[in-house]
Amino acid sequence: MIRTILLLVSLFALGGCDWMPGKPNPDSKWREASETSDFAILYRQNCLGCHGIGQVVSGSIAMDNPTYLSVVPREVLLNVISNGVPSTAMPGFSAAVGGTLTGEQIEILTNGILAKKPAAQPSPLPPYAADPGDPARGATVFAASCASCHGNTGDGGEKAGSVINPAYLDLVSNQYLRTVVIAGRPDLGCPDFTARTPGKPLSNEEVADVTAWLISNRRNEFGKPHAPAQPPLP
Amino acid sequence: MNKLIHAARGVFLWVDDRLHLTKLYESTAGHHVPQSSGSWFYVFGSATLLCFMIQIATGILLAMVYVPSAAEAYTTLEYLTFHQYLGWFLRGVHYWGSNFMVGIMLLHMTQVFLFGAYKYPREITWITGVVLMVLTLGLAFTGQVMRFDEDAYWGLGIGVAIMGRVPLLGEQLVNMMLGGPIIASDTLSRFFALHVFVLPGGILALVSIHLRMVLTKGINEYPQPGMLVRRESYDKEYAAIIKKEGVPFFPKAISKDLVAAAVVIIGILACATFFGPKGPLGPPNPLQIDTLPRPDFYFLWIFAIAALMPDWMESVALLGGPVIIGIILFALPFFNGTGEKSWRRRPIAVLTVILTYVSLGLLTYLGHTSPWSPDMNAWRSAHTPKKFLEGRSPLELQGSLVIQSMQCRNCHAIDGIGGQRGPDLADVGARLTKDQLVRQVIQGGGNMPAYGKNLTPDQVDAVVAYMVSLRTPGVAAARDSSQPGRPPME
Ligand code: HEC
Ligand code: HEC
Ligand code: HEC
Repeated sequence: MIRTILLLVSLFALGGCDWMPGKPNPDSKWREASETSDFAILYRQNCLGCHGIGQVVSGSIAMDNPTYLSVVPREVLLNVISNGVPSTAMPGFSAAVGGTLTGEQIEILTNGILAKKPAAQPSPLPPYAADPGDPARGATVFAASCASCHGNTGDGGEKAGSVINPAYLDLVSNQYLRTVVIAGRPDLGCPDFTARTPGKPLSNEEVADVTAWLISNRRNEFGKPHAPAQPPLP
Repeated sequence: MNKLIHAARGVFLWVDDRLHLTKLYESTAGHHVPQSSGSWFYVFGSATLLCFMIQIATGILLAMVYVPSAAEAYTTLEYLTFHQYLGWFLRGVHYWGSNFMVGIMLLHMTQVFLFGAYKYPREITWITGVVLMVLTLGLAFTGQVMRFDEDAYWGLGIGVAIMGRVPLLGEQLVNMMLGGPIIASDTLSRFFALHVFVLPGGILALVSIHLRMVLTKGINEYPQPGMLVRRESYDKEYAAIIKKEGVPFFPKAISKDLVAAAVVIIGILACATFFGPKGPLGPPNPLQIDTLPRPDFYFLWIFAIAALMPDWMESVALLGGPVIIGIILFALPFFNGTGEKSWRRRPIAVLTVILTYVSLGLLTYLGHTSPWSPDMNAWRSAHTPKKFLEGRSPLELQGSLVIQSMQCRNCHAIDGIGGQRGPDLADVGARLTKDQLVRQVIQGGGNMPAYGKNLTPDQVDAVVAYMVSLRTPGVAAARDSSQPGRPPME
């Protein structure tokens, strides 16, 4: 018995069974973070905590949101990933602003994200960026397209929370509000601009107007430095 | 033919006369041991020695490739692990061999302690054994440094920090250990010399004394309850036992050792086959803070002590502890050198062993699992499971993003994902009230930094709103029990 086991083990050891389970996988080899050139790994290591993709949902807009990918220009992706969005939770990743990604890696991320752009795109597409429209008309658009979920005043309804909470509005940029008006948060149940009123996509003007209405609810000017938190409660 | 045999006999006798081979055989392999010592409990000593020999053999092979210089060590390790044919296996055997050696040595020591084998007249056997233990742990520690990756670097850093606390001599000791004030290229050469020359040499020397004592003072008979050791009579009693029921060590008593040896070899090879070697992780880099360093398992308990203890106690415990343990171990055969040997009649000894094992086990477990290490990358990589985002308001969603961008996730997991330095936040909303959450975030406390100055009021609002929402659906938010009338705070 023991002899057979010994024989087997030595056969294993000496027989050149280089496939044994303990053999370290070359993939497990440590690599300099700046050598990573795989989109999936780069995305998982740098973005997944805040932007969902595939099955994963995160706090901010998913980077495979089809409507978003249809409208967002490549330069915007490059710029936002490199420099971040000031006064928001979005950090810059380029070395120039203290980030850890190389220019090449930012290109890889941008290309990888854009590769998920759907073949068929809704039309007419509103432009990614535009000046806010008229808040008064925006209020009407909101009542028609958004109030069913976000409540008549926008302060939260049955199906969704407040979009006019001052703290919320302080934490997001105007562009992000416009981005959500266009692309929605389908991962969380906020439809995109085509689906809010079935069969009747929001027009370019309506997008600009409702964005302006959201912005008009700000209590503070966005990006203005705030006083630090008050000393702790009793 | 006869002539030939005659000549051969002549040669043999000549060799034997010059080298004393038969005498050597008689006094070693042939020497008589109590029959009762041919027990399974008596195999650990030889098994430890076997591990040591495996370490020497594999160590020599490793040294043929390994270059002990700070510049090349890492490359050669990578070469061994990923390119050299079966190099990984060699590293695996050496790594597991060391684990086995430490483990079996502990068993050996436990057995010797429980069987009273350290008592009269085997004091020196015990003391050399204690020194051997220290040397073996030294080998394990220096070996961990040979794997010159970020873990090794960090383990060394901790060792240095402990050394540096020695009063008066601290600085000199650190200099001596590292070959300078910091971990640099001289450090690795020093540890290499320790690991392959000084410590193994010391072990060989002490093992020969240790074995010499085993031969001259005999192997401990299997203790019988009630048979007390007395300085005046023990030697005579032992001689009587040997005379009555002594058997030659070879081939009688050794058979169980051989089986144990087979088990140990199979164990080491199997572990190397199935689990492989450890590391190397990333190369050592003092600037790189996003590592998850963990010492090898036999030092995990020390790590746990260091991590769990309040700062002021650390120095005392880390420096005083070893000294006290050392004194106790050295003095043991002198203050407890006679009397009962059998563990059946030595409840205190049994309790000591149980207590030691339980506390070592517990500390190792804590060192292994307890939230102690932040994950410096979690803020951007650790996602939040969908059920902790669904149905949250836009403000709460922003809160979840602030938790990422302010790097709270580096210390706090949500449902197991994220760093493990502070408590998991998955159900924090059911545990703490809104006021408590605000206070924790702004004031910090208990190993958590205070965020008061670094968060805007909006960010505090968002984070707290989000944390209040973190609880299993249906579970109420924590209430302030001092004000039962107040509604749950949302
Ligand atoms: C700590 C959280 C966080 C991380 C990590 C993060 N983001 Fe962001 N990102 C945000 C937030 C918050 C916004 C919205 C900023 C605003 O209000 O405009 C944002 C915005 C963006 C936008 C612009 C959205 C728009 O309005 O058009 C892009 C593109 C983007 N992020 C890509 C990335 C990529 C790619 C990564 C990984 C390299 C990444 N982000 C990592 C939080 C994060
Ligand atoms: C079918 C219901 C529904 C409709 C219609 C709807 N939303 Fe939403 N919206 C949601 C849900 C669900 C969320 C996720 C947050 C939550 O649950 O409160 C959300 C989130 C948002 C957010 C925050 C997203 C973020 O990432 O910070 C904004 C801004 C928003 N909606 C604006 C709008 C606007 C503007 C309209 C109308 C043009 C609209 N929504 C219509 C359901 C809806
Ligand atoms: C350096 C690591 C670290 C960071 C970063 C950190 N925490 Fe903590 N946190 C801890 C530790 C450790 C505790 C346990 C404190 C104690 O023992 O009282 C804790 C406790 C807490 C608690 C109380 C949890 C409970 O169940 O008692 C909350 C809430 C909390 N942290 C929130 C945050 C938030 C929000 C952030 C980011 C703004 C943050 N923490 C950042 C380490 C950290």
